[in-house]
Amino acid sequence: MSAKAIEMNGVRKAFRFFTLEDVSLDLEQGQIMGLVGPNGAGKSTTIRLLMGMLTPDAGSIRLLGHAMPAQQALAKRDVGFVSDDMKLLPQATLAWHMDFVASIYPGWDAAYAAQLLKRFGLHAGQTAKSLSTGEQAKALLLLALARRPRLLVLDEPTSGMDPVARQELLTEFMDVLRDDSRSILFSSHNTVDVERISDRITFIDRGRVVASDSKDDFIERWRTVRLRVPEGMPDWRLPEIVHRDVDGPNVTLTVDGFSDDFLARLGAPVQEVHRMSLEEVFVATVMHSREALEVRP
Amino acid sequence: MHSSLFISQTDARPMYLQIVEQIRQRVAAGDWPAGQELPSIRALAADLRVSVITVKRAYLDLESEGVIVTRHGKGSFVADAQGLAMDMRLAQLDTHLSAAGEIARSLAMPEPELIERLRNALNTQEPKA
Amino acid sequence: MNVLTRKLVAKELYLYRWLLVGAGAAGFAGLLTAASGEIGFNIGFIVWLTAIIALGVMLALFGVASERKERSLLFVLSLPLAPGDYVRAKLLGLLACFLLPWAGLSVGALALILVMPGIADGLLPYAVLLCVFLLMNFAFVLCAALHISSEAGMGGVIILTNMSVSLFMMGVGRTSEVGAHMLSPTPVWNAMFWLLLAAEAAFTLLALSLPLFTAARRRDFL
Repeated sequence: MSAKAIEMNGVRKAFRFFTLEDVSLDLEQGQIMGLVGPNGAGKSTTIRLLMGMLTPDAGSIRLLGHAMPAQQALAKRDVGFVSDDMKLLPQATLAWHMDFVASIYPGWDAAYAAQLLKRFGLHAGQTAKSLSTGEQAKALLLLALARRPRLLVLDEPTSGMDPVARQELLTEFMDVLRDDSRSILFSSHNTVDVERISDRITFIDRGRVVASDSKDDFIERWRTVRLRVPEGMPDWRLPEIVHRDVDGPNVTLTVDGFSDDFLARLGAPVQEVHRMSLEEVFVATVMHSREALEVRP
Repeated sequence: MHSSLFISQTDARPMYLQIVEQIRQRVAAGDWPAGQELPSIRALAADLRVSVITVKRAYLDLESEGVIVTRHGKGSFVADAQGLAMDMRLAQLDTHLSAAGEIARSLAMPEPELIERLRNALNTQEPKA
Repeated sequence: MNVLTRKLVAKELYLYRWLLVGAGAAGFAGLLTAASGEIGFNIGFIVWLTAIIALGVMLALFGVASERKERSLLFVLSLPLAPGDYVRAKLLGLLACFLLPWAGLSVGALALILVMPGIADGLLPYAVLLCVFLLMNFAFVLCAALHISSEAGMGGVIILTNMSVSLFMMGVGRTSEVGAHMLSPTPVWNAMFWLLLAAEAAFTLLALSLPLFTAARRRDFL
């Protein structure tokens, strides 16, 4: 089946104080998409819509080719969903959870589960309520990973985890991708991780998708350019300039759509050109989009 | 083949470039001999914990430099030593030339002047013994 | 009933097993106490009644409200089911949890009445009505828990249903034609009895099926 792993088109969902507007995103099989956005941007809402827990007011959602939320029971057979505000059933043990999940999903890999148990330093006999938040998160991820799902949907999977646990988790995620029919969508504040392992990145801010591209495109398009203009700043009308920082004759430009052609059109001698980290690109993109929205009536 | 490449997060250079350089080094040093199969793109991505497109891009660059060859459906292999040395030297030259080009651009130097300077450099080169 | 629903019902029974055992034991102790004389009867009756009511309240509170609060709801919703399936499975599961001890304790109470010479058999119809009333009460509390998310709201529902038990006992016991024959040596199954029984059954079914049309059909589950 060559259906995309995720297809969202023009999805709209209105709440009392917040509206998710015209959200579209695509994830091909075998890819990882990172969802990045400030708090309250709508990442969790988007993910809940994806998982059928909310019904959109407009637009269409397909998860592994199944229409959501109508066919969610079918779709979720192949999806592992973990959210940072999810918890295990407090009175039951981890072993009980593992047996429970194993009996529901035919794809359960007991050997892999045992391996993860050791790797994450968990004990099957512990009750869920005795686990720390980090351990709960690891347990939930274990239950999702050991089912070998075709799609992993993760809402802030590594929030609150120590660096060692995070690295272990990233290793497991990338392991999932060894199989090119399996995909991952994850939302995270950790732009370093997103930058490293994502194939595609989607920025969300204030209920809208602000940008969605392959990671390479983002990293290649954006630069900061430093130059000196002792005679004063020329009247640049270059659309690629998203932001300018002026300190006397020293000017720093934030550029979206950097190219040799752009440099030529700039004309002025350039002192330094820097690539930008994903975090910097993200902040610049969001600021630019907010300014643009304010200008529009 | 267990890859022992290392990606540094604090290195200013983009990840795909780090991969390209490390593979180039290993090939040049002979650690990865001609004809040896490279890890599959996904396997290397998982080993290094970087995204698949990063590795894809690195492999594409290496192929265009002639360091590796990709046989469709079979995988990527270290290219023959013969073409390799030449291609690597050419790649080195291109790197130097583009660096020169960047400096020229940053000085807003017009193209004829740059070419003139190159000509001077060639003429004043001591012929190697 | 599909595999997943069965597993979820089994999960409720497993998670609340100690509650069921505890309520059953307390209720049984109440029955034994009730067998030991007039004062014992009064005390035992109260213990028996409290055990059943408390069981219902605990199941509704822990089974529904706290799962929602504790975020384990998200875990269950991540399973391959639609939110409607979740409501159905919850309903069935918690009903099963209540029915087991309730059935045992109800049969025990009726048996006690028949067996004990000191307790008039005329009490039987009243006792049957009371037992079914407690089941109906649980159905209401469960239905409310599936619709109300505020703790204050649930508190209100619990207070009301508890009051209703006392009102029922007084109402049926003092004023109705069932109550008139409570102390007779043989049970009197008159028309009023059947009417009240039918009403209780109807309300119970209503309370249990309402969530299937409302909560199960909700489009937004979180």
